[in-house]
Amino acid sequence: MASRIPFALIGPRALPAGATVVFFAVLITVLLLSSVSCVREEDLSLEQRAHQLAGELMCPVCDGQTIDGSSAQISQDMRAKVRERLDAGDTNAEIKDYFVVRYGSEILAAPERSGFNLLAWIVPVVIVIGGFGIALITIKNMRKSATQMPPTSAELASASESEDDLTDYLAQVDRDLGIAPKTKTQSKPNASDEAKS
Amino acid sequence: MAELGFMALLLGFALSAYSAVGAIVGERKGKAELVVSARRALYMTTLTVTVASVALIYAFVQNDLSIAYVANHSNTLMDRAFVWVAFYAGNEGSLLYILLTLSIISALAIWFAPKRLARSMPWTIAILAINQLFYFGVLTFVASPFELLDTVPVDGRGINPLLTHPGMFSHPPLLMGGLIAITIPFAFVSGALIAGSYGDDWIDVARVSAILGWGVLGAGMLLGAWWAYTILGWGGYWAWDPIENVALMPWLVMTAFIHSIMVQKRRGMFRMWNVALLNTGFVLAQLGMFINRGGPVVSVHSFAASALGVIFLTFMLASLVFAFALFLWRMPQLKSDRAMESFMSREASFLVNNFLFLAVMAVTLWGVLFPLFSDLARDVSVSVSAPYFDRVNGPVLLGIVVMMGIGPLLPWRKASARSLKQWFIWPTVIGVITITVLVALGVQRPVAIFAFGVVAFVATSILEEWWRGTAARYHAGDNWAIAWWRLVNGNRPRHGGYIVHISILMLGLGIIGTNFYQQRTDGALALGESLVIDNYRIEYVANGDSSRPDRIAKWAEMTVYSIDPDDYSQEIQLSNAQGSSGFTLRDSQTRPNDELIDRIETWHGFYLDFNMASVRSGIRSTPVEDLYVIPRDFLSDGRISLAVSINPLAWWLWASGPFFIIGTMVAVWPQVAVERKPARKERLGSSEGES
Repeated sequence: MASRIPFALIGPRALPAGATVVFFAVLITVLLLSSVSCVREEDLSLEQRAHQLAGELMCPVCDGQTIDGSSAQISQDMRAKVRERLDAGDTNAEIKDYFVVRYGSEILAAPERSGFNLLAWIVPVVIVIGGFGIALITIKNMRKSATQMPPTSAELASASESEDDLTDYLAQVDRDLGIAPKTKTQSKPNASDEAKS
Repeated sequence: MAELGFMALLLGFALSAYSAVGAIVGERKGKAELVVSARRALYMTTLTVTVASVALIYAFVQNDLSIAYVANHSNTLMDRAFVWVAFYAGNEGSLLYILLTLSIISALAIWFAPKRLARSMPWTIAILAINQLFYFGVLTFVASPFELLDTVPVDGRGINPLLTHPGMFSHPPLLMGGLIAITIPFAFVSGALIAGSYGDDWIDVARVSAILGWGVLGAGMLLGAWWAYTILGWGGYWAWDPIENVALMPWLVMTAFIHSIMVQKRRGMFRMWNVALLNTGFVLAQLGMFINRGGPVVSVHSFAASALGVIFLTFMLASLVFAFALFLWRMPQLKSDRAMESFMSREASFLVNNFLFLAVMAVTLWGVLFPLFSDLARDVSVSVSAPYFDRVNGPVLLGIVVMMGIGPLLPWRKASARSLKQWFIWPTVIGVITITVLVALGVQRPVAIFAFGVVAFVATSILEEWWRGTAARYHAGDNWAIAWWRLVNGNRPRHGGYIVHISILMLGLGIIGTNFYQQRTDGALALGESLVIDNYRIEYVANGDSSRPDRIAKWAEMTVYSIDPDDYSQEIQLSNAQGSSGFTLRDSQTRPNDELIDRIETWHGFYLDFNMASVRSGIRSTPVEDLYVIPRDFLSDGRISLAVSINPLAWWLWASGPFFIIGTMVAVWPQVAVERKPARKERLGSSEGES
């Protein structure tokens, strides 16, 4: 029961015990991972931090490369500068600020998480959660409109491809003859379906 | 030659225009012979593009510097083997290459199209002809590769040095070919929609052509990554550069399509959805063409900005309007035959998989467009690069891998609790064991450990199904290899898909290893000095000059020793105290447990005309880890400045390639009628998960 209650979105109807668990496990994992995937500054050696920072600063004269990946002279100088500031005890944030002051905010390889740039980070979350919601509602609606009785597992066990092919074929024949059931009737919920599942 | 090439293109322009008009008028007026003539005209365009392409290649071979394009992309020093690369090294040539591909695959598609599509073929021909017409128009009137120079230069500019690598023989052509190939399924499906054939006649031809294009595009991206890794000399392989992103986006959408088309094939569902996916893929491919050609975003890949940007933008918007107007017009006729029966069904899992692919696509598109948006909205420039995409896409990509394990285990329609338990138990157990073992071994980075667990879960699910199916056949009397092959043969789309899934898992291993466990250090060495990182000592032993008139270049040779850290405990302590990951040794004495394991050569060149450095990194690759040595620079005091990294599991990135290609081939290989019998047996036997 526990798996049914929180998800009013999907409705209380007969989800197999594992269903919500599996689908929401995916969603929750995705969301959790996005929040814990960074390593704390103090766990890294200065050289590791230097490389990490180099991957977060753009090379000002190259097209779309970070200073980590570029062999331009200015990138070499900037990498040396990063190391110099680290040795002097600066935090990552201070070093980034140092470069932003000199080169503008486009020196950062990813937008900051504040002000207008927050949009860059919020929209993906909205896309993922909204999209997931739409996918679930779509499945729910498609399920509601089921006219066929869901077969029992015993029936499924014996379901062979030939049966499947035949239904496809018959549906095709129906369509070709122009007697395919209207979608209106298809979308009518079927009482026995509800009872069964 | 220039005149011949130009005339061929002009003729092709006329032929494709005739083909488009002929097909439409013939269909409307019911004149079959006009349609046949239009079809033949489309075969002929292939001939004209081939003539134009041969003319351009011939001009390169002859080094005909009176042609501007040749003078810009070749010179007398260029190794003639790179003529093929020079052919598509610039805007005009790459467009000609794209048109060549489009015309050849159009001709093949029309030739092999099944008879039952006869009603919609005129429209398919017209759509293909209009696409060709666009490229012919651009090549004839806007960006002709046969433009002549007023004065013939003494020598050409030469080929872009970054392109002189074996990977360049295949990466750009596969990538461009894969993008343009989306036109084929799009033309078939749009043709069917216009003609009002709502049946599923187009499923097989759309599926096969979509998978072929998708496979080519995927192989192209993988080769691009390999090229970046071995030649760009930054130790990475994927930078989320805008041009990489615009190739990735249609690939993601087509991945969703080739999955959900199976639902339509098997269950008669998702019709609307499939058409919408294909339309999206086609429009995104046009977006790719646009951004590649003077588009508004900064990229290492962009061709020189040109007036082409506006033209391609217009064509992209026209495709968008056409595709979705057609979709909305015909939407009422595209309803599903059946309803979804359960969340725990393969249909539902395909829908979730589709959603995840589209989410990565949409998020990537947002990241690509955000700098433009920021510029327009508030006149502030921002950069959106790898750190952003890693963070926002990483979790969703992992979610896709999770679904890759779950989806195929679910049967069509509805799973029973018993079958779920039966099929999920081993993958889950192995996944959990993997995580436990890694934790027990003291491996760092929880996210990566979880990801390894997911990979183990998915791998087990595939191997378990193969094991059961193969064992059933083995007991029926086949030997193991034949039993497995019969299993695969029995349902090629499914098992080809599994082979591709395995390649994705290998790719996943490489991505996790390199992203989470890379070690790096920098140092400058004089001859005889060594750099030590982890269990390697890299000694700089020799160098030499390999300059040519157009470049200043040096090579450097290093020997690689595997070491025992105990021999170096003092130095290691010292370097840890300084916060370094490695250290330099001034003497060249080997210590007791040093063992010579490899010799590697690196190369650093500077091209004067291009003001561009090009390097070859020294790579020692093993399935466990790569030792990767980048020669940053030769310093004026005679030392060499190196960046050395250890990239765990990087080998698997490239090992995945053959599996990806083989799996794709298996999935599309035509199913012969004789093959049906084993397929039946297999379904009854084990693979439906309900036995």
